Amino acid sequence: MIEQLPALVFAVPLTTAICMPVAGHVRKSVCRPLALASASAMAVLSVASLWAVVSHGSVRYSFSGWAPPIGIEWLADPVAAVMAAGVSVLGVLCLLYGGAVGDRTHDRHPVPYYTMVLLLLAGLSGAVYAGDLFNIFVFLEVVSLSAYALVAVQGGRALVSAFRYLLMGTLGTAFYLLGVGYFYAATGALNIADLAQQVPGLLGSKAVMAGLIFMLVGLAIKMALMPLHGWLPDAYGDGPTAAVPLLAGLVTKVALLIWVRILFWVMAAGESQGTAGIFMLVSSLGMLASVAGACIALRQRNLKRMFAYGGISHIGLVMIGIGQANQTGLTGAVYYLLNDAVMQCALFVLAGLAVHRYGVRTLDDAGRAAIRSPWVMGTFVVAALGMVGLPPTGGFFGKLRILLAALEAGNPLAAGAVIVTTLVTLGYFARLLERLVRGGSAESEPERAKMPWTLRAAMAALAAAMLALGIWNDPILEALTTATGGLAI
Amino acid sequence: MIGSRFESLIVRRTGSLLVPLVQIFALYVLFFGQYGPGGGFVAGVMIAASLVLGQLVFGRSGLSARRARSLLAGDGMGLLIFVAVGGLGLIGGGQFLNYSEAPIPGLPDASRRYVGILLTQIGVALDVAVAAVSIVFSLSRSARGEAGNA
Repeated sequence: MIEQLPALVFAVPLTTAICMPVAGHVRKSVCRPLALASASAMAVLSVASLWAVVSHGSVRYSFSGWAPPIGIEWLADPVAAVMAAGVSVLGVLCLLYGGAVGDRTHDRHPVPYYTMVLLLLAGLSGAVYAGDLFNIFVFLEVVSLSAYALVAVQGGRALVSAFRYLLMGTLGTAFYLLGVGYFYAATGALNIADLAQQVPGLLGSKAVMAGLIFMLVGLAIKMALMPLHGWLPDAYGDGPTAAVPLLAGLVTKVALLIWVRILFWVMAAGESQGTAGIFMLVSSLGMLASVAGACIALRQRNLKRMFAYGGISHIGLVMIGIGQANQTGLTGAVYYLLNDAVMQCALFVLAGLAVHRYGVRTLDDAGRAAIRSPWVMGTFVVAALGMVGLPPTGGFFGKLRILLAALEAGNPLAAGAVIVTTLVTLGYFARLLERLVRGGSAESEPERAKMPWTLRAAMAALAAAMLALGIWNDPILEALTTATGGLAI
Repeated sequence: MIGSRFESLIVRRTGSLLVPLVQIFALYVLFFGQYGPGGGFVAGVMIAASLVLGQLVFGRSGLSARRARSLLAGDGMGLLIFVAVGGLGLIGGGQFLNYSEAPIPGLPDASRRYVGILLTQIGVALDVAVAAVSIVFSLSRSARGEAGNA
């Protein structure tokens, strides 16, 4: 049964999503427990799959029993397995949080809402596992369509943001598909392992380069890389409180992971010359995104928008890491990507909580509110430490790796960009923390209902994950180095 | 236009001839899809086209329109069939969608594949038909400014 785990991880949320309308037709209150149970089962299966991959090695899963050139293959290597586990565990935490945060928007339409959440999780796991470029496109579409619908659930202003997201996102997937078409025309293959044998020899071909650039543009829209990030702050700012942590934590990160796959598993596999230009482009775009994103975040007054720009700048940091084209940079980037998924999730969980429990939307509100809950403040401090990059959180070790990679590659400009980003990030988090700590007085604090255990559990788990990723950074980084060591960079 | 009965005798006669013909041809395409061009997707589109044609010609209260609306209740049924057939392969110890591993007793390997592919294609056809019909329904509803659920 162990070798069937990747398919099961995908099939469980998909089947539940299909059955959700019927279940909701019988009784609406069954939707949330059903979604939670399905996501939990998915989490257990994906963690089991991670364990199996770590102890028994990667699994190449051929659907229908047809071998790769003809059939469709999924690749459960350590990178995919750890990302799939992250997706499903964060999915469970977001569902726990979403039901208790006090935002009742999605309760009006529980059937479509929970169907979309489960489809999103299924699509994300498929996109992570998929072993060929076309299936990645299919799952990227599943993810995107669910994400547009989830943003639009909020209604009102969110409809405009969702429509903008839809237009940009559709362009993104179209560009990506166009790039896949160029690759297919040049090589006749879509499978990543097949492409890895052919593409490095074809780097002089204009078709392959054009395809690569199309894919970069398409995925850059999906991951909100700096000049193409326009849809993100509005979509995350206006979207429903319960769904935004899921979107912020996972959707952009999976697009980034796909780009890492294309760059390292397809392009740079084997002895190849001529990829230097691409890596340089990636590194420069990363520098622009990280510094500019952090500076814009510094100017925001609205908390959600500030965190959204923080996320954009962190996407840039990961791009700097992979742009250095060395082993340190690759492992650091993948590790930082994992951390960033958890941090973004935690930040938007806190932002939603601030709006619905404390009525805090902007920096000025934060100065007036008295947030005395140790759960909220503790998680916020850990998340802030992670975003700024201070030990013992995973953010520090990831950023350190990326910095070391830049120095190793002899790229002082990139190293400078990492440091500037860190300082600016410190700026906006210190300002927010100062407002929160000094804000309000204990006497003026109104009586509030006790925080439900699901909220506390979700926050505690997120904070623990950020700390655990940092404390056990050594074995994780070592495992990632072994997993990516076969790629000649 | 959608929703009102079409009064022309010629259109209605042609419609009553065409709708069953298209549906029979859709079934042919569905079952023939194993050996030649065709299959679940095309068959699903044809079924949907026949239902939409029926609604255009005979109006909302016509037999086809009622059938189409009852079809919408089966939203997701097709996908469920697809996943179930795929899951049979898993239960039999093979990969997802590996029809030859499906635990159907008393069938040789080739027949298992045949039955598996046929069932999957029926699922695909159902799903495509439901999706296409529901798109037409929701567009026609919003054009008339009606609210309500199908």
